[in-house]
Parts: sequence; C-alpha cells; structure tokens
Amino acid sequence: MNPKLANKRNNLLYSLSRSALPGIIFYRKSPWPRRLLAALWVFIFLPISICNGSDRKIETLNQLIQMYDPSSCKECHEEIYSQWESSHHARSIMGIFMDRYLKKGILSVKGPGEATAKNFPCFKCHFPQMEKATDKVAAEIAAVILKKDKVTMQKLNISCLVCHHDKGIIHGFPEKNVLYAPEGDEEYPEENHLRVKRSPIMKRSVMCGQCHGLGPNFEFEYPIQCATLYGSYLHAYIPSGGTRTCQDCHMKEANHTCPPNFNDKKDVSARLAKALPMEVRTLSYAPQLTPGSFVQTIIVETRIFSKAGHRIPDG
Amino acid sequence: MTATSDQGKKIFETAKIYMPQSTNSLDRSMVYGPTEKVAIIRDTSIQPFRPKEESFAIKVPGDIGKVNVEVTLTYQPRPGDIYPIHKVKREILIESY
Repeated sequence: MNPKLANKRNNLLYSLSRSALPGIIFYRKSPWPRRLLAALWVFIFLPISICNGSDRKIETLNQLIQMYDPSSCKECHEEIYSQWESSHHARSIMGIFMDRYLKKGILSVKGPGEATAKNFPCFKCHFPQMEKATDKVAAEIAAVILKKDKVTMQKLNISCLVCHHDKGIIHGFPEKNVLYAPEGDEEYPEENHLRVKRSPIMKRSVMCGQCHGLGPNFEFEYPIQCATLYGSYLHAYIPSGGTRTCQDCHMKEANHTCPPNFNDKKDVSARLAKALPMEVRTLSYAPQLTPGSFVQTIIVETRIFSKAGHRIPDG
Repeated sequence: MTATSDQGKKIFETAKIYMPQSTNSLDRSMVYGPTEKVAIIRDTSIQPFRPKEESFAIKVPGDIGKVNVEVTLTYQPRPGDIYPIHKVKREILIESY
C-alpha cells in the first residue's frame, strides 16, 4: 500500500476508534458517499476496533466475521496464512455435527432464534469470538448451521486474532492495539500494523490448553465434555517425565497447519505410526500343561508404545 | 488380530479397543459425543510412555502345517472412519512333534 495512503487511513482509523460512537457520528456527518463509509466501517474500522477492546457487543454476524477477517494478515504473512487456511482452525465449525446437536439432545433448540451464547457451549472453543457478540449473532450462526450454509460456515473460524490477540495472554487481559507473538516485542515500520508484544505463553502448552481442554465445562447449564487433551497432557504425559510442548509436535517451525489434518488420511496414519510404534512377537510350540496332553499353540505378543504427549485416542 | 490356516480358514480372531469411556454422570451407561459425555468412567486408551502389552494364545488344530497371523492397529475417531496405523504379518510353520 502507498505509505501516504496508509498513513491517511491510519489517522482516520484511530480518530474513528477513539470517539464514543465513532462510526455512527462519522457516517451521519460526513459528506462522503455512504456506501464508501459503510465499506470503510466494515472492512477497516471493525478489525481495528477488536484490538481496541470496545465494550459494545457486536450485533450482526457479518460484522463479527469482518472484525476477525484474517485477509489483511495474508498480505504480508502469505505462507503462514496458507498453512492456516488448510488447518482445522480455518474450519472450526465444519464437520463437527453442530446441526445434529441443534436438532437433538441437550443443546437442541426449537428454532435458530432460541440459540444463545449460553445455551450453545460449542462456541466456547469452536468460535470464541462469540464472546464479543450478542445473542442475535448466536441465532444467526445457528441459522447458518441449520441451513448448512457452507460459504458462511467457512468464515467462522479460529482466525489470526483469536490466538494472537484474544487468547494471546492469560495473565491479565489482552491490551488494546496489540498483537501477541512468541518472540520479542516489535514496532512495525508500516503504520497500519499493530504493535507486537512478546507473550511467553504462546510457546507453551497452556496456550493450546485454553481450548484443547481439561474435561467437562461446568460453567454451562448442561456440562459437556468435549476436549480432554490438555488434561491428559498435564496429568499423564508430564507425570511420566514428558518434557515437550504441544507446539513441539503440532506446530514444528511455527507450522500453522497444526497437524494432524483428519482430511488427509495418509498423513494421519503416518503420524500415528510414528507416535505408536508396535512390536509383534510370535512363538510356536506345544505346551504340555497337563502331563501327556500336548496342544499345538501359537503365542502372539503385541506391544504398543506411545510417544505422544497425551492419551490416544483423545480429543 | 486374525490367524488363518494355509488353506485360508480362519482359526482365531480377536480385537481390543483402547479408548476413554464416559457416561453422562446420571447413570452407568456409556455415551458417545461431546454433548452427552460428562465424565470419564474408565480409560483403556494408550497412555504416554505406558506400553500396552497383550498376549494371545492360539490353539492350532492338528492338521494345519502353516498359520498366517495378521495384527493390525487402526484409529477410529468414529465408527467406520478408519485410519490404518500398522499391519504386521507373520507366517508361522507348525512343527509336528
């Protein structure tokens, strides 16, 4: 982007984000064409406002999607973006049978309008952005899931800002206008790039443990037990002398595909074969367990060893 | 694990399932799915650094000279959704005594 233009855009963004009702006032008073302003609001102001920690809850799904839209990150971090794009994080709502849960069982609703952030606990990890939105948005998402609107569902994901802002620190709350990264602090020369702060947790398993959890989520009306991986890591792997982190195996060299990719059967099989070496020993003989009575027998002994950092299977 | 004679007749078959098993904590029946599970009640999954060892004894009928043993390890996140992990084959000659 032209630096002058970027500068101008930036100044505009900051002046917008610092006023109490920035978009609305600007929208009403400005002589600029309203479509242009609306586009500015959706595509530029919203992604910035998330890092500004606005307390106002988002009212529409489209706004929420735009707020977390990772496409501006793609401009410079192309490789990481394409890795992320092929990861399960990029499709956190797809293929997990949420439509089934909305239709039957303890999470079922009579219609999408009944779905709220509280009674739809899957949001906690599969779309944590919901924390910033109203129940109206929850209802919109339920409608999208029930209609199997795959185009919109693909936009509901664990995008860059979820990990690099919202979940980027656990000691205190994420700061305004800051992104978190595992390495050192950095001020970017590009004025439209948010300041990057070092967050040590991003290299540690606790980062992943925020979603890849401990077991039952008791904070909901009906507790559900989705992810138990981090619990297994803490209480089985670590006590057995394990020293590696989730990132050591699932984000080697900052690989944002975060394998395994369950759509790639060959790769999953290869990873499991490496994590679970199996030995088979056989013995053919004729035991005489009661005198004079021989029974031709084959003994097959198997030994499966686990090098994984958690139980297998787990979720 | 299966064992077949050199004529192709199955003489032994068995399977072991390693998995955490949960209930909804209201009764003692095992349940599937994150919306149903509340607590793990038994866990036979493969734990880090703790080998799973099994021993199978296969009685071989007298007229068989060779047995083919096949041991497979697969991962099934859902019934029918199978990811192969290992397949080990052994050919065992039966010595008459």
